[in-house]
Amino acid sequence: MKDKRMTLKEAVSRFVKPGDNVGIGGFVNIRQPIATCHEMIRQGFKDLTLSFQSAGMAPELLAGAMMARPDHCSIKRIELAYWGHEAFGLAQAWRYLTERSMIEFEDWSNHNMSARFKAGAMGLPFIPSRGPLGGDIKNTSRTKIMDCPFTGRPIALLPASHPNVALIHVQAADMYGNCIIRGTDATCAEIAMASAHTIVTCEQLVSHELIVSEPKDVMIPFPAVDAVVHVPFGAYPGACRRHYYFNGDAIREFVGNIAPMVKGGSADGLKAWYDANVFGVETFADYIEKFSNKKLIADQLAEAYHCERLA
Amino acid sequence: MTVSTDYTAQEIIVVAGAKILENNKIVFVGTGLPMVASLLAIFTHAPGLIPVFEAGAVGPPLKHGLPISVGDSKTFTGASYVKGLNAAFELTQRGYADYGFIGGAEVDMYGNLNSTMMGDFPAGYNKPKVRLPGSGGAADMAASCERTILIVPHDKKKFNQKVSYVTSPGYLDGSPDARYKAGMQGKGPYRVITTKGIFDFEEKTKRMRILNTFPGETIASIQENTGFELLVAPNVTEFPAPTVEEVRLIREVVDPNGVFVKRAAK
Repeated sequence: MKDKRMTLKEAVSRFVKPGDNVGIGGFVNIRQPIATCHEMIRQGFKDLTLSFQSAGMAPELLAGAMMARPDHCSIKRIELAYWGHEAFGLAQAWRYLTERSMIEFEDWSNHNMSARFKAGAMGLPFIPSRGPLGGDIKNTSRTKIMDCPFTGRPIALLPASHPNVALIHVQAADMYGNCIIRGTDATCAEIAMASAHTIVTCEQLVSHELIVSEPKDVMIPFPAVDAVVHVPFGAYPGACRRHYYFNGDAIREFVGNIAPMVKGGSADGLKAWYDANVFGVETFADYIEKFSNKKLIADQLAEAYHCERLA
Repeated sequence: MTVSTDYTAQEIIVVAGAKILENNKIVFVGTGLPMVASLLAIFTHAPGLIPVFEAGAVGPPLKHGLPISVGDSKTFTGASYVKGLNAAFELTQRGYADYGFIGGAEVDMYGNLNSTMMGDFPAGYNKPKVRLPGSGGAADMAASCERTILIVPHDKKKFNQKVSYVTSPGYLDGSPDARYKAGMQGKGPYRVITTKGIFDFEEKTKRMRILNTFPGETIASIQENTGFELLVAPNVTEFPAPTVEEVRLIREVVDPNGVFVKRAAK
């Protein structure tokens, strides 16, 4: 096993290339790879495809960067089930890019995308699913409907998804890339296994001995991982089980910079946000420092209350 | 039971949704008002309701209150089975979910639901008038839950002869066995709850039918605000206005921060 610890700067410059298909972990605004997205925006990216089931801030940040700095950041295509923020509102960048026909996209459902990553993780070219039968997803995606050779009934076949690089945030990892996930597994293990490379950011970087003390807790095994980066608050202002709950105000504030642009407003507010929070800082830790300690502790306490346990 | 005089359109939807849920059933709960209604059901007549959330939590007691997201910690703490999306949808595809409880922006007379886009389809798929978030898990719930319960705000423009995009299939074109022939399982939509009433689907034609009118509405007023011809059940009754206690539970216990149930302007 190899020590895969490195800085986020190094991980992104080594593993995210122009034209890559990027698999995004987490679920809506839970355990999204926010810190990695910030670093990608700082470095710039070109012609990416984004693949995810349900996502919120990760694509919103990447797409917002394309809206604010099209010379520096561009997304070509999105394969997804849902892009929004649930209680915190619609994904305004999603509206902006689609309603102006600025990107290609392929609609799937949550199970479709999760099953596509699972097929990729299993090393199989496709997977059968009932999800797309009946509705229009089968008409706007690469779904194939066939009669099952065993039952004779119609079944949908979904193509495997194999991202070039997976962006995954977890609660704990060791230096080799063995990962522990708490709360929802989302589809993170499948995305990591399906992808050619995986960048893992973690709240806690722990010893190998501790990780393997409960080996069945290891959700992502070391061979699937290429970079391990210790980034506390790496999913913030989204939530991360056992660590912090949502900062809804910060999510709404960021999306609020994009909303006026959907109706034709200027990009000035959005540009200023990126200048202050991404381009104007060196690391994600500098961005986190902008929040008050009081707020960060409040979000940690809210989460501690949801998962009451002895330290 | 004192009747509330200041309940909102969302609050009567929540009360209706809660009352439709039966105790001890397994309900696959979508985000938004379905979560609020499920929690109200648990606090009232259905303490044994078993919610399933697509992020992978099965049967949480929801003791920490209303989740902001179907995947947040509140849906996982105390759950009996804790996995990820594939596990939740696989058990649904296997037929374990009695009900799927979902919301949408647009619906047709056969209960086909749209949460993908508004505009001209298929020509305008790549340049929609309004782009919505997308299926999430709704298409999977519609294809595999035993029955589905739909929440759609009632609006003539949103109750259409034809929806822009069928995200979550209902009875398709209403022809006999259409769902089975398409390869789906489950009986299809069971109830539609709107801001004006509760609807079911007539057994033979699979067409949407008025079952209950909400206070202040009549069969005629509902039909007037619907873009297709509704059928009318033999004994349409008025759904009772929420009680003061039900409204108090929603405002003070279930969604005290107004996360999904918006407060009426004073």
